[in-house]
Amino acid sequence: MSHIHIDVENVSFSYDKGREILSGISFHAAEHDSVGIIGANGAGKSTLLKLLVGLRLDFNGTVRVEDIPVEKGTLPQVRSRIGYVFQDSESQLFMNTVREDIAFAPRNYGLPEGEVEKRVEQALEMTGIAHLKDRAIYKLSGGEKKLASIASILSMNPDILLMDEPSIALDPKNRRNLIHILNSFHHLKLIASHDLDMILDTCRRTILLSGGRIIRDGRTEDILTDKKLLEDNGLELPLTLQGQNRID
Amino acid sequence: MDTLAARDQWVNHVHPLVKFIVTLCYIAAVVSFSKYDIVGLAGMAVYPVAVFILSENSFLDSVRRLRFVLPLVCLVGICNPLFDKSTVMLGGMAVSAGILSMAALIMKGVFALMASYLLIATTPAETLCCAFRMLHIPRILVTQFLLTYRYITVLLEEAERITQAYALRAPGQKGVHFKVWGSLAGQLLLRSMDRAEEVYESMQLRGYRGDFGYMRERLSFRWQDGAYLIFWLGVILLFRVVPVVSVVGSIV
Ligand SMILES: Nc1ncnc2c1ncn2[C@@H]1O[C@H](COP(=O)(O)OP(=O)(O)OP(=O)(O)O)[C@@H](O)[C@H]1O
Ligand SMILES: [Mg+2]
Repeated sequence: MSHIHIDVENVSFSYDKGREILSGISFHAAEHDSVGIIGANGAGKSTLLKLLVGLRLDFNGTVRVEDIPVEKGTLPQVRSRIGYVFQDSESQLFMNTVREDIAFAPRNYGLPEGEVEKRVEQALEMTGIAHLKDRAIYKLSGGEKKLASIASILSMNPDILLMDEPSIALDPKNRRNLIHILNSFHHLKLIASHDLDMILDTCRRTILLSGGRIIRDGRTEDILTDKKLLEDNGLELPLTLQGQNRID
Repeated sequence: MDTLAARDQWVNHVHPLVKFIVTLCYIAAVVSFSKYDIVGLAGMAVYPVAVFILSENSFLDSVRRLRFVLPLVCLVGICNPLFDKSTVMLGGMAVSAGILSMAALIMKGVFALMASYLLIATTPAETLCCAFRMLHIPRILVTQFLLTYRYITVLLEEAERITQAYALRAPGQKGVHFKVWGSLAGQLLLRSMDRAEEVYESMQLRGYRGDFGYMRERLSFRWQDGAYLIFWLGVILLFRVVPVVSVVGSIV
């Protein structure tokens, strides 16, 4: 078995001892997997991703990343393998310029300056924002911030990519480019999104969450074409498939 | 502030440790003047004035940025004349000691503030933190400093967003109605704390451990840095020990 994988076993979680947000979550994902995480607003998608990188440790059950259990002492190890794109890019970016922000992770991981520079250039090019590299972060548009936050994660060269609503705020062309980036990332990726068309284009597998439980975990084609299943859980067919239905 | 510090001025490139030490010594020297010695204190203006010019920072700009802090510094001195009612001789005139010591206190405060401001305005936050780490200041304190620094930016951004959102839904109203001040301030605090926490999470997720190791290599110590250090320590010592202003005054 390859070394890149995530195991989640019977995880339950609630914020501040309140209502249970995730209950009995279990799944396994390995190298080359591409997993879409879908569900209505408040279903627990973002929360699940946060647990995987150890942003909240007060959960029940176990999460393992590449056989390392996610707990206080292992956080640096776990986090060096995972790249996590926040739902809110405002909070993710904090350096002065786009270039500095993209260079932050590789520098912290002690790469030599030449290598850092190379990573930055690569990430800028992949996301198509080379023209923004010296701009101040706070002067970027919403979509530009999203692209910068994606670039700042790509420069980490992670084994595992977690993205929370990556296509939000992107124009059609940049959205297509994002799909291209995601498809050329071959390790392991989990993408939480309401953009079901993008999930259809990038993920072979889908996990459907509702009320903090996994309702279905299976092939994307099967889940995203199941009109009744989606509607029962507060979702709708992807737009591309809605068109086909009308023709039927 | 960060944009100021990232500019390509000569002073901005001086080693952060050197600037930090000079600033500390300067503040120590200023504070150590006796409480009536405004003539000696006046000479100490040489350092902020010179750095303002060298770094091409605008003095008015700094006053604008410090407009909330400056009055506080002045306030501290203002009560002095009430307590200190004796008189001292200054240049052959009898002057109220209270007023003198008030002036001296205000000068001390303003100079120390200006020196700190100049340090921050010419040194990016990370670079400064790296200097702190070189002095073996504990990681946790350095991170604390960095976060406070970032928190201020986050707070200001969040304040602007909230007041804009408020203004859009309360057209034709000047400022914010006092009845909602409480809830706005509460929101501001909660939201900015949440955001600051997320920013810190984002730093940790990308390998931040409070080390700044990668900077140390880039921050090599050059002979200019040594010269800068020796020059300013010399000047500060000179102005502290020799009453330069009165000497020059008596020659002229
Ligand atoms: N910091 C928090 N404290 C308390 N409750 C929270 C917190 N963050 C989220 N929640 C609650 O947890 C539930 C799940 O939130 P989560 O952000 O995981 O949903 P989501 O599936 O990502 O939704 P969306 O599609 O809107 O992004 C929501 O009901 C939300 O109100
Ligand atoms: Mg979410």
